[in-house]
Amino acid sequence: MSVAPARPIRIGGRVRAAWKAQSRQERLVYQLLLPVFGTVFALATIPFVLAVIRAVTSDSRGFVGLENFAQALGNPLLYESIKQTAIYAAIALPIEILGGLGIALLVHRTVRSNVVRAAIYIAAMIPIVIPQIAVGVVFRLVYLPDYGILNVLLGQTGPSQPLWLSSPPLAMIATASVDVWQWTPFVYLVMFAGLQTVPSESVEAAQVDGATSWTQFRHIELPYLRPLLLLVLFFRIADVIRVFDHVYILTGGGPGTTTEFLSLYIYRIGFQFSDLPQASALAVIVMVAMTVFYTVVSRFLPADRG
Amino acid sequence: MRLHRSLAVLVPIAILASACSSTPSAGTATKLTIAAVQGGEDAGLKALAPMYKQQQGVTLEIVEAPYDALYSKLVTAFQAKDATYDLIMMDDPWMPKFGTDGSLSDLGPLGITADPDIAQVVWDVGTWPPPRGPVPPKEKAKPKQLLGVTIVGNVEMFMYRSDLTPTAPASYEDVLTNAKAQNKAGSVAGYIIRGKATNPVVADFLPILWSQGGDVFDENWNVVLDNDASKAAIKFLVEDLKAVAQTDPGSTDASDRDKIMANGQGYQSSVWPGEIGTAVLDPTVTKVAGKVGFIPIPKGKSGKGVGMMGNWLLGIPKASKNQQAAADFIKWMLQADTQKTYAQNNGIPSRTSILKDAELGKTNVYFPVLAEALQAPPNWRPRTDQWNAVEKIIGTHLNKALTGGETADQAATGAAAEIRTLMKAAGY
Repeated sequence: MSVAPARPIRIGGRVRAAWKAQSRQERLVYQLLLPVFGTVFALATIPFVLAVIRAVTSDSRGFVGLENFAQALGNPLLYESIKQTAIYAAIALPIEILGGLGIALLVHRTVRSNVVRAAIYIAAMIPIVIPQIAVGVVFRLVYLPDYGILNVLLGQTGPSQPLWLSSPPLAMIATASVDVWQWTPFVYLVMFAGLQTVPSESVEAAQVDGATSWTQFRHIELPYLRPLLLLVLFFRIADVIRVFDHVYILTGGGPGTTTEFLSLYIYRIGFQFSDLPQASALAVIVMVAMTVFYTVVSRFLPADRG
Repeated sequence: MRLHRSLAVLVPIAILASACSSTPSAGTATKLTIAAVQGGEDAGLKALAPMYKQQQGVTLEIVEAPYDALYSKLVTAFQAKDATYDLIMMDDPWMPKFGTDGSLSDLGPLGITADPDIAQVVWDVGTWPPPRGPVPPKEKAKPKQLLGVTIVGNVEMFMYRSDLTPTAPASYEDVLTNAKAQNKAGSVAGYIIRGKATNPVVADFLPILWSQGGDVFDENWNVVLDNDASKAAIKFLVEDLKAVAQTDPGSTDASDRDKIMANGQGYQSSVWPGEIGTAVLDPTVTKVAGKVGFIPIPKGKSGKGVGMMGNWLLGIPKASKNQQAAADFIKWMLQADTQKTYAQNNGIPSRTSILKDAELGKTNVYFPVLAEALQAPPNWRPRTDQWNAVEKIIGTHLNKALTGGETADQAATGAAAEIRTLMKAAGY
């Protein structure tokens, strides 16, 4: 029995052949996408891979498997920070989404002047473009006792004034209110843009048939806004998990650990407890959880409106 | 043909490689990059940069970051052996971390030696392992090296309204007595507590703890934060002083303390030199200019008053490619004439002769007190790479106690237990 000599695998040759098999247009598409993929690879993939490597190694013992993950998940303070983050999200997100949607509907239905619409658009952009640290500093001046603007406006500057930054429930409300102020306009802008895509013929037909405002919203506008609402929800949840700057400035995580949200907790583990492997494990866990969440949310995003 | 092709490839690679690997010879750099903390602490440094360019022909590029961001940046830069920074500003509690990790160059061989006109404690705080006090177990065998030189001679002091009580408080008993006498609920705080969570409240508390005879660790790294003296000190802060403090000590940071003092709504507090300009000296922003006295930290039950160092040091990362040029800048900065210019531009000098300079003392009334505080000597925060974590634990519990979430006793025992667990895991 004769055995044919093994042929060397020529991967480069195969890639070249596959590349040549593409049409000129397809090749152009890949060439145009290459810088984008390269940038994403450099800015997102490489750091993530490095975080994974850090999460499964120890400075002194090298590869330690899932030990850092076990340590991260075994710390009760992690669950405390998740709970605080959930409370923060439960306060901020409904107000932002319903508030942003409400303002968008109001402007869409009542404001006809393009100049006024442009003015509202610019006003809505302002909170979004202000750095979070600056927002934190400004709101600290709002919430501080004695000379803080809020207590002065409320006429509450005496010994029994509300302590917005050091009473646990009030500190949670104060930090969440900053989020609401900064990000409700973002929801408004997205929803307002979505409302512009609703065909006016459908709305007019419904109005001729005597549809109420609610019916018009429920059966005509909402189907167009649904994918945007899910996208907004995803982005806002991702942002809430990353919330850091204004909370750090306002309360430093206090009183006690009342406002020590997930991102502050990871910072605490990484840079105050100098445990970067455990912090990397936490970052990977959050990344995986967000990916699962996004996958689930994506199932509710229709490919098209048809 | 093949040779030409090979040369065409190899020659540019060789040129590129030689360019990448070339190390500038000692002291010949034309630019030094300094990582600095954003705020008043680097004001003097920024003022010196044009002068250094003019005198030595070296450009100083000062890259600023807020306190916490600077620490994170330095930790990650050192881990990556990044050569971006030729010099770094570091708060003295960071030194043990960087010293333990071996991230900084020994300044001795680069020609920087102790100068008798600068207080010994300034050299000691930049030395690793520490020349006195407990040394981390894993660091005991290391030779002592000078890893940092103080450029901001911060020592926590005490300020009080000398127009209301001309006699300075000699002890914390006097502090409390005066606070009770001056306190007017809702309008004037008898004592201003800097009680915001973590670093701020710990910085405010440690001089009280030490002066009252308590401590965080003993000489063998045993946790003593829950012994009687330490518990009494915590109680003194969160009960006695809180009863005569501003409305919301739990959210007060240094800038808030400055505003309270500047508005005439506070009677006394501890204070860092960097705060003094805005809080009490600049008549354009304060109502109490000329009405405030400065003293070293008052005596406590231990019979002594112990200030706390918060020195900012300059160090040279091992990865820097301009080691000698960076060391030359430090030497230049420590010269008496440079220090004088530095002080005239809001820098906080460490030279005793500059701190006692009569002319400078007219505009910086706290300089002689600072010189006295440096000679005392003040304490430094425990020299362990675990300090940030320890500070976080103590700061969280103290803040909780100040905001009514825990009693003084619970704060002491809770913090002590967590610190014991932490230190045991770290091999102490």
